Amino acid sequence: MDPDTDVRRVPGSRRIRSYWPQYLAISPFFLIFAVFGLFPVLFSLYLAFHRWDGFGEMEFVGLQQFRYVLDDGTFWLSMRNTFIIWVISTVPMLAMALVIAAMLNSTKRFSAFYRVAYFIPNITSLVAVAIFFGAVFSTNFGLVNAVLQAVGLPTGRWLTDPLGMKIAVATVMTWQWTGYNAIIYLAGMQTIPSDVYEAAKIDGAGPVQTFFRITIPMLRPIILFTVIVSTVSGLQSFTEPQVLFGTNTTLNPNTGGPGQGALTMVLYFYHQAFDNRDFGYGAAIAWVVFAVIALFAAINWRLVQRREK
Amino acid sequence: MELSRRRILRLGMLGMAGAALGGTASCSTSASGGSSAGGNALDLWYWADGLSKKVVDEAITRFTEVELKPQQIGGNFKEKLVTTMSSGGEFIPDITGIKGEDFASFTPQSDRFLNLLDLGAGSIADQYLPWKWKKGMTKDGKLIGFPIDIGPTAMFYRRDVFAEAGLPSEPAAVAAQMSTWEDYFAAGVELKKARADAFMISETWAVFNLIVGQGTARYVDENERFIGDQDHIRRAWDLATSTIALGINAKSQANTPDWNAGLTSGSLSTLTGAAWAAIDIKSAAAGTAGKWGVAAGPGGAANIGGSFLAIPKECAKPDVAFKIISWILSPENQARGFTDSALFPSTPATYTAPALTAPDPFFGGQITTEVFGPSAEKIPVQYESPNDQAVSAPFQTELTNVESSGKDPNAAWADAVAEAKKIGQRLGLS
Repeated sequence: MDPDTDVRRVPGSRRIRSYWPQYLAISPFFLIFAVFGLFPVLFSLYLAFHRWDGFGEMEFVGLQQFRYVLDDGTFWLSMRNTFIIWVISTVPMLAMALVIAAMLNSTKRFSAFYRVAYFIPNITSLVAVAIFFGAVFSTNFGLVNAVLQAVGLPTGRWLTDPLGMKIAVATVMTWQWTGYNAIIYLAGMQTIPSDVYEAAKIDGAGPVQTFFRITIPMLRPIILFTVIVSTVSGLQSFTEPQVLFGTNTTLNPNTGGPGQGALTMVLYFYHQAFDNRDFGYGAAIAWVVFAVIALFAAINWRLVQRREK
Repeated sequence: MELSRRRILRLGMLGMAGAALGGTASCSTSASGGSSAGGNALDLWYWADGLSKKVVDEAITRFTEVELKPQQIGGNFKEKLVTTMSSGGEFIPDITGIKGEDFASFTPQSDRFLNLLDLGAGSIADQYLPWKWKKGMTKDGKLIGFPIDIGPTAMFYRRDVFAEAGLPSEPAAVAAQMSTWEDYFAAGVELKKARADAFMISETWAVFNLIVGQGTARYVDENERFIGDQDHIRRAWDLATSTIALGINAKSQANTPDWNAGLTSGSLSTLTGAAWAAIDIKSAAAGTAGKWGVAAGPGGAANIGGSFLAIPKECAKPDVAFKIISWILSPENQARGFTDSALFPSTPATYTAPALTAPDPFFGGQITTEVFGPSAEKIPVQYESPNDQAVSAPFQTELTNVESSGKDPNAAWADAVAEAKKIGQRLGLS
């Protein structure tokens, strides 16, 4: 008997019964997701309408927390910071990743070594990275200022000046994610048929022309993918500012360093929820962050749609 | 036949699930050593160097009527304690440390802890510094925090740099010349004239925070009213920001590479901070041993840091727990805490103990307790609201804006007060 027709005839409850090993096999993900994913999401929505310090009674406050978020200068500061860091990290990151991928694609020798070398930053412990960059960007004894001084340029206070701090955070992010994006681009480039390149070569195109006229147009869907992924992760940046500026002060940890110059939206939410133990307010911030990212995802989606027409 | 195979499979799955559940359950009980599980066990939570480990270990053998199980909790102590206490049940420690900076945030939940006065703490109150004792109390007079250590402040300074600049270099003379903030800043200007790269002040916030700590009121008063816009905070603001205009502020954040290098080279010539800052200086500038001195700081005494032990209400044996606490933190054992973990005693009687009166070669053979001891006894009683930290954040942010991007101090003050009021309103302050 054909098993498919047999299944179609039995009612739903029996179908589940006869396929239980399959359902059981996929259940761990859903169980873990329900406990550690779905429940916290729903609970945070519930929290956003309450005031709760983590141990006392919860107090229902309606939309008050959201009103405070929209009226909170520090939240808007954190949003501004996030966008600035996102722009100054994503643009150079993706541009460099493209160039690196093109170079990796054309290497003949040691290609595996180069791929690994570019990917290593991505899997390096961020705490070690932060200590290293903390030293590199230090004002009086850092490598960056030493180089700037040597070539006669003005030095910066990279770890205390609000703009310098954003550049420092963006540099860490760029350093960490360029190799990852380069590997994705490389995978995309390897799907471009070689006869296109051969045809271009016969027509007399140089490497630069080939890159701009063939590689980039044919990589467009992959570039869009990386833009979307970088948008979503860039707007949620948390670890880099947290480890670079998290422990600078004993009184108010995780406030994004001097002048809150590196306070990102997610770091602010973390600070309110877990340092100030203001869980309702933290949850409200998290949901506003969600709305912002959803808005950007929608914009990205529209862009993709238009390009495909 | 088919059915039996299924049944075997099903039983196998159930067995695995059961084993997994049983496994986690047994794991968690053994890891926590929960009080109700052990019957006679008493869990003590503290952090590394929060208590003298030697004293704690001795307490295990000394109090045999219970099985004392001390655990050093790493990471964010407050977060772990609150999470455990709010989840309830057997994992709540019977005795726990509470860090000084977190203590105020626990006072609204004071009914979660036992009132130590009910356990006989009143009879030994006179052994402890009165202001510290009061700090461990709630507004309605319950004692929930038993004093561990304190952080009396003073001024650390470079004897060699001061001598080179023609300033006094002996502690008594330094303290006499720089007893007020204004005099201290004036000496900083002089220092700067003698040595162009020498700064009296490391960062604005440290000065501001210390001046606030020297007063009797902070940002919020006892009726939970925001008072951060009043003269006592404004005075701290004006004094702290004046150091930037005077050019005596190095704008160097504590524990950064720049700060370490400044302490070593002498360009950061003084540091105002708590007794425990000596450890930071010793590790940051190990090569400068013998060149430092400690003097009573400008503007009077203040306290920064210092912790407490508390007994959660779920404690299985409160009487024994209190006996253990009062033994671990007795004046004699506080001297050992100073030696083992650099915990500055909260018991004035200890200040004459041999452990505290040994000359410190790093400070040129000075007996530093002669400075910190009197400072400890002069610390004012201050009300610290549970909302104090949240409300102080905008002041810190705006001070940094003044320091690093040259924002006008008056504009920054207005912004800080406006933002702090907004936060206060959200937290329900009037």
